[in-house]
Amino acid sequence: MFLVNDFIALLAANLILTQALGTSTLFIAAGSRKNLIGTAFVITVFTFFGSVSAYFTDRLLPEKYSDIKLLIYIISIGILYVILLSALYFISRSKFENSRKYIHLSAFNCAVMGTLLTVSGRAAGDSSLKSYITVGLEAGIGFIIAALILTAAYRMLNSSKVPASFRGFPAMLIYLGIISMAVYSLI
Amino acid sequence: MNKRKSSVFDGIFGDNIVLSSLMVISPVIICGDTLKNAVALIYAFSTITFLAVTVSSFVPSKIPYTIKVIIYALISSLIYVPVKWATQEFFPNAIERIGIYFPLLAVNSLIIFRSEAELYKLPKGTMIMKLVFYILGFDSVMLATGFIRELFAYGTINGKIADINTLISGLSQPFGGFIFLGLFCGLYRWICSAAMSRKDEIRSDADVSGK
Amino acid sequence: MIKKIRTERLIWLDIMITLLTLELMSYFYYGLRAIALGAVCIAVSLITEIICLRLMNRPFTADDLSCTSDALIITLMMPAVMDYRIAAIACVFAVTAAKNVFGGRKNMIFSPAAAAYVFVLTSWGKKLLLYPQPHVKTGIFDDPDGLVSSASYTYNTTGKMDYTDFELLMGNFSGPAGAVSILLLFVAAAMLILRRDISAGAFIGTISGTALLVCLMPVSSGGSVIYTFASNMVIFAAVYIISDRRIAPKREYYAFFYGLLIAVCSYIVTLTTGMENAVVIISVLFTPVALGLKNLEKRIDLAREESEQQLTAINKENDFLGEMDIIDFGASETVKSDMIGAENIADKKIFVAEMEDGEHE
Repeated sequence: MFLVNDFIALLAANLILTQALGTSTLFIAAGSRKNLIGTAFVITVFTFFGSVSAYFTDRLLPEKYSDIKLLIYIISIGILYVILLSALYFISRSKFENSRKYIHLSAFNCAVMGTLLTVSGRAAGDSSLKSYITVGLEAGIGFIIAALILTAAYRMLNSSKVPASFRGFPAMLIYLGIISMAVYSLI
Repeated sequence: MNKRKSSVFDGIFGDNIVLSSLMVISPVIICGDTLKNAVALIYAFSTITFLAVTVSSFVPSKIPYTIKVIIYALISSLIYVPVKWATQEFFPNAIERIGIYFPLLAVNSLIIFRSEAELYKLPKGTMIMKLVFYILGFDSVMLATGFIRELFAYGTINGKIADINTLISGLSQPFGGFIFLGLFCGLYRWICSAAMSRKDEIRSDADVSGK
Repeated sequence: MIKKIRTERLIWLDIMITLLTLELMSYFYYGLRAIALGAVCIAVSLITEIICLRLMNRPFTADDLSCTSDALIITLMMPAVMDYRIAAIACVFAVTAAKNVFGGRKNMIFSPAAAAYVFVLTSWGKKLLLYPQPHVKTGIFDDPDGLVSSASYTYNTTGKMDYTDFELLMGNFSGPAGAVSILLLFVAAAMLILRRDISAGAFIGTISGTALLVCLMPVSSGGSVIYTFASNMVIFAAVYIISDRRIAPKREYYAFFYGLLIAVCSYIVTLTTGMENAVVIISVLFTPVALGLKNLEKRIDLAREESEQQLTAINKENDFLGEMDIIDFGASETVKSDMIGAENIADKKIFVAEMEDGEHE
């Protein structure tokens, strides 16, 4: 019973279905299972560590400098970006060659930056580190769920039976829209 | 000359960044439900993107890709600060309405990825022309989306009541944005392919008559 | 192929017969207005379908009439006095956004009727969830008055239903135009299952899932099972949406779990939030599950085909090798027998020669 309610709550908090954050990245990621797993994992890493950095930024940055919050978020994501790439490079060259595209794709996109800005916006209600981390992880898991939803229909949405004008992205948008509509009507 | 012109103008019709490449779609889906939001977003997007891409074009191309991308994001986030101040001055309620999508425009795909992949490889003049048309392409989609969604979801045009009997309130919601943009995108592709086939027909007719 | 086409048309015909029966029942309760709403929905769906097919450069065939059954399902899920314009918009949405955009009846992703219902719910929720009382007849062009909340709403929020079992069976309580006559719906389900028009697995899964949960977590103490089946369009959705052969997984085993999952989730949502007709929303939300199961079925079929092919190839190879063995074996036997024979003959010759020699000696 709680599982079902938690699942619906997770869907309701899904940044893609409810706020369209990271939709373009999702469309690219859903293309293949390998891409999906790689991108979803890297995005979860970014949203998790990004949320931690957002927590410290929000705590330490005086209110009058709030305009440069975005700049600090970008610096922290930039640092994470370089660290991840360097770590991967030193761990294994072959893995670096295979996986760097996921890191490039995941670093500066709406899914990651949107999570940081959302978590920062929600901080007025609960500004504990736990809530920041929870939102960060939720965003990552939400991305995975949305990607799975899209992957289930990927072949049908790109099938030759779909009219050429709607094949691919437009059909994906409408498909996600109808799923998002069902989620919205449950909230 | 003709070829160059057509490639520059593609930003609006042939290679629209929203409808063809599905870039910067989150603000269109979420905030494109009224004309006022659309205008505020157009202002923010156009200013931030134009200035960020133009300034970023001076970043040396020899720098590694990762560092360049971070520099582009930093430049646009710096440009975001004065643009936000100006917005507070000229559109006092816009920032509240657009919410997190305003700062998100600073890390849009056109600034971070498309510029590096395409625009910076062009001569400066062409790059700026192409950039302007990309921005105009986004602006036109945003305006059309804002207008249609406001008309059918709220029954108003720029806040003024229009005579619409049955309002589809769902169109103002994110799911309405998804579905509307999907249909709009399909319609755009259909028009594009029809125009292309018509051009081909005219060209083949011309070839035949030439022979 | 011809058999498949015939089956598709017959399925549509069977479904239409059951839907028209329900429509007749709604005429009995709500008058001509219910028929008029159905006619508007069918006409709009048909016109939209023809336009869509024309835009896709496809001919309109008898199979494309399935849009009319979807239109009737939409009609029967709405109040009998629903605004015609809203019903028409719902039908346009069902035919275009939920069906033809994805390739039409050959590539169905969503149940068009379910998607259209959720669309109306999100845009005109208040109008959709206020119903006329049974036997209160509204004129075709009159504005409805005296609308009330559905019996499902009362049941979800209070756990009570002040109706006799007969009234519940006959659908003599406020609710959607055709989705409340549970006796008729059970008859329709039986007929459609026997004629293999709907997925039996999905239907049984939905019903057994709901029944199981009612027993485990009843909404109220008495008569909970009947009330649950009579309310929230559970049976209607189980027959016409969840068990739709175009959407549900092909194998009954998977379809059973698909139905069960939807039933469990929708019951819990109804129980915890008191939401009306959650089963329709959940069925749209679980479309990716149906698609995932279908993908799994395809993979299993492919794997089976491959293994069968491999098995056939192995058998052929074995047969070939067996023949070769027999040939080898035969050859060796002949050689052996020949050799034995030769040996024997030689031995005999030697023996005979030796005997002859001895006799001579």
